[in-house]
Amino acid sequence: MWFFRSPQVVFGDEALSYLSSLPIRRAAIITDRYLLGTELPERVRGALPEGAESLVVGDVSAEPPLSEMTAHLEKVRGFSPDWFVAVGGGSSIDTAKILFALHERPDLTVYDITPLVQLGLRTKSRLIAVPTTSGTGSECTWAAVLSEENEKRKHELASPEILPDYAILDPSLVVSLPPEQTRNTAADAIAHAVEAYGSTWHNPFSDAMAEKALELISENIEGVIRDPRGLGPRGQVHIGASMAGLSFSNSQIGLVHALGHSLGATFKLPHGKAVGLLLPYVVDFNYDACPERYDRLNMLIPPKYRGRRLSGSLRSLLGMMGVARTVRDAGVEEPAYASSMDALVTLASESTGMVTNPKDSGSEDLRNIFIKAFDGD
Amino acid sequence: MAGARTARVRPRLSPFMIGVRSDALVKMARFPSEEWTKLYAEKLNANKSYEDAGKNWEGAITFVVQKDSALDKDAFIYLDLYHGKCRDAKFSLTESDLPTPEYKYAGPYGNWRKLINKEIDPIQGLLTGKFKLQGSMMKIMRFTKAAKEMVNTTASVQTES
Repeated sequence: MWFFRSPQVVFGDEALSYLSSLPIRRAAIITDRYLLGTELPERVRGALPEGAESLVVGDVSAEPPLSEMTAHLEKVRGFSPDWFVAVGGGSSIDTAKILFALHERPDLTVYDITPLVQLGLRTKSRLIAVPTTSGTGSECTWAAVLSEENEKRKHELASPEILPDYAILDPSLVVSLPPEQTRNTAADAIAHAVEAYGSTWHNPFSDAMAEKALELISENIEGVIRDPRGLGPRGQVHIGASMAGLSFSNSQIGLVHALGHSLGATFKLPHGKAVGLLLPYVVDFNYDACPERYDRLNMLIPPKYRGRRLSGSLRSLLGMMGVARTVRDAGVEEPAYASSMDALVTLASESTGMVTNPKDSGSEDLRNIFIKAFDGD
Repeated sequence: MAGARTARVRPRLSPFMIGVRSDALVKMARFPSEEWTKLYAEKLNANKSYEDAGKNWEGAITFVVQKDSALDKDAFIYLDLYHGKCRDAKFSLTESDLPTPEYKYAGPYGNWRKLINKEIDPIQGLLTGKFKLQGSMMKIMRFTKAAKEMVNTTASVQTES
């Protein structure tokens, strides 16, 4: 027995206008510091049903610690929203998931948000995710990542109950995404699709999502990079990123994310940058455990980037996107990397991605991948 | 071991299948039983992957094998796990005979058999309600690889069907 869990997905031109058809009376709009200074919060307010009241919480930074995610919890509780509307990238959406859970259940701590506990959410409110990046997939997942306060660690929270009720994929919200975020988030989405497809928990539903996601992203990302404001390719990558989110949310991540969370938390690298550079190395490591599956994925990559093996194709594709090929290219200095190696390995080994990776791995395997990724093969 | 008894499993009882059997250098044991617990602890201590994955783990866990149509009584397997090794392993049909563990992993006998046969993934077993876990989730979520190795080890114990 297994499940396929998904929010209701609203996508395409003017998808944001769907908000007006929902029975929203009091909306807590959770967004990030950057978007707070743009017209977007006002656009979202304007899309709410007539007469709906709103509270905008806009202090979320990139990959925030728990204290920041919950800084406005009391304000949110005082406002008593009946809907949470997360607007932004993964950090805003994950923050909204946590605020939603803690608003619903004031007796919980974030660490109670595990799939093994029935939380009983949705007695007061519901959750909508409106992504403004194309990559984290958080709008379609039942996971949330938070950075630990005084540790170089990312904590992976998960519960089917924090899966958003709606994911609204409006391509107009991503056309102004800066090039570096476009690159990093697309790399994250590609990693989601590849990891979901190789996962030991893969299933026909997650496979379908992973295959289509990789196809949509790899066929359209070059167009996005060439013409960032082109709605067509942006829309396809945006949908592909959510499908990649659905794929891994219903099958699980693997070693790329185990290593990527460790690398990102230790050296403050953006998540997409960390997983994008690690992806080909992990695919090489995993290849003999699932050659047919990786070969099948390889055939979905456009011929101009396609090599003999998936890892080579991914290197070509990610290289075209401008993703760093090595840890050194990503700006990490060798002495700091070497002195952090034991901690990197330990952190990675504590990730849930260790159990669903197609190939079993131990500490020495993780160390070897980290070492290879520093300067390349 | 004080208080320890061999669980009675209803089907296919044969005098040749009681306790530890040694033939062709293979030790077999019925699950759940004191003999199985002993063999399991030996296998776990020989499992290098478990040693690596559990090297930072400190805490005891009890496997609770709940009675069902194929098992008469609940059975309990207590494992004191410390830094990648099993320091102590006890079996009992009475939970109060055993030390209080930090975690309990519980499920019906039929599901345990599927777990041992690798027909159920231990984490998916929890997510689908086939097993229940008691204890700090935050801590154990960092040791999912060790949990997987613990289950992999059950498959290496020659278990009577």
